[in-house]
Amino acid sequence: MKKILVVEDEESLRLLYEEELKAEGYDVLTARNGREAIRQLEAGKPDLIILDIVMPVMDGMEALGRIVSQERRIPVILNTSYSGYRQDFMSWAADAYVAKSHDLTELKKKIRELLEKGKGR
Amino acid sequence: MKKVLAMVLAGGRGERLYPLTRDRAKPAVPFGAIYRIIDFTLSNCLHSGVRRIYVLTQYKSTSLHRHIQFGWNILSAPLGEFIEAVPAQQRIDEHWYQGTADAIFQNIHILQEERPDLVLVLSGDHIYKMDYRKMIAFHLEKGADLTVGVIRMDRKLSREFGVIEADGDWKLVGFQEKPDEPKTIHGDPGGIMASMGIYVFNTEILVRRLIEDTRSDSSHDFGKDIIPMMIGRDRVFAFDFRRGDCGGTGYWRDVGTIDAYYEANTDLISVTPQLNLYDAQWPILTYQPPSPPAKTVWIEERRVGTALNSIISNGCIISGGNVKRSILSPRVTIHSFAEIEDSILLEGVDVGRNAKIKRTIIDKEVEIPPGMEIGYHLDEDAKRFTVTASGIVVVPKGIRL
Repeated sequence: MKKILVVEDEESLRLLYEEELKAEGYDVLTARNGREAIRQLEAGKPDLIILDIVMPVMDGMEALGRIVSQERRIPVILNTSYSGYRQDFMSWAADAYVAKSHDLTELKKKIRELLEKGKGR
Repeated sequence: MKKVLAMVLAGGRGERLYPLTRDRAKPAVPFGAIYRIIDFTLSNCLHSGVRRIYVLTQYKSTSLHRHIQFGWNILSAPLGEFIEAVPAQQRIDEHWYQGTADAIFQNIHILQEERPDLVLVLSGDHIYKMDYRKMIAFHLEKGADLTVGVIRMDRKLSREFGVIEADGDWKLVGFQEKPDEPKTIHGDPGGIMASMGIYVFNTEILVRRLIEDTRSDSSHDFGKDIIPMMIGRDRVFAFDFRRGDCGGTGYWRDVGTIDAYYEANTDLISVTPQLNLYDAQWPILTYQPPSPPAKTVWIEERRVGTALNSIISNGCIISGGNVKRSILSPRVTIHSFAEIEDSILLEGVDVGRNAKIKRTIIDKEVEIPPGMEIGYHLDEDAKRFTVTASGIVVVPKGIRL
């Protein structure tokens, strides 16, 4: 079973993602901020990471830098409702961007694409 | 006018320069009596109108930071000019820089804040005089994504360099890292085009390729990884050093070993050195604490203070001793009847009466006791000091003899 790490500070959204992705047949891990996400990485490697940007403790951009330096193979989807993030060079290190929404169709599509691509690596 | 930001890589350990690098990074190693190696790159920047400069430091950086703080605090912040030494901060990753490319990637926030059009990546390890404006103009004229500074080197030295292969338009078509069988220059089978480790990048391409490199198995090095990744895909050009060489003699040195260091220094004593430090058009700046002028004393029948074919810095006193073909940094004292030949004495060295020094580099603040001989019995010297294959003795900084 593919393991997805959801990094999101907003609890309702985190639960929504967790349920919907479990329903899709994924194993779901969660973290409330970048620091927790890094700790999760040390405990066990997910196959994909969904990363919010604006979070307390450690934000998504800082976490992204650490993730790509440590676990360069794991695809990362930046998930945010702000569009300004593209100004940030570090955002270019993500494999995909999906705008935050309660409709997860787009997100699920990206997840499938990236996991599919990852098989060839 | 394009906005250019210089990133000077100054984290090199310079292990083969030990013990000169025991207490300092290679760019902070003294050179030419009063300079530090990094002064050459920084002076080049200054005279080239590149005045937004970050110096990325890492190992043993205290001495380098102090030098930059004391000596290079000369730019005008209100005009947007600065030279700033940035230590490794582990913002992104909790280890030292893994390679030259990683050093820039780990400081990507600087590019983020500065948003330059072009990034000039330089090394703080090399001695040369170059007008970077010429290279930048070439980069723009070619519409390049990356321009690599290259210099002709003897084919025999290929194992020490990244070797560039370019087409008739100077476009890169191949790159070999330290090859045994290098591609030689067209029509010049004895020569190779060696990378000088200096680069002009379009910022956006630089960032994209650095990220790509970070996310792949790589040694994170510009030469080994980034250039090969970009050839055939991006517009990569070679810029011939001779077109930007403002000394006009093709002088460029990576003083990587003690022997190379010794030779590059002593070359400065010759009548017309390849490296001209007296060119008012391209002065090399440095930091010197205020010192009184140099002087010689004693002129008696058997006691004469002399210095012949030598470089003597401020604050030196040659008091009844003899100095020949040597380089004296500031505040060196030579006492009566001492003899110094073919040697390099760094700041604050004091040579006692009747001491004899030959083919020796003495690092800072060493007091040579009266009567001591160094450089005459290499077997004996090797018991206490570093002695190179060609017989140069190095006395480390601050040693008590």
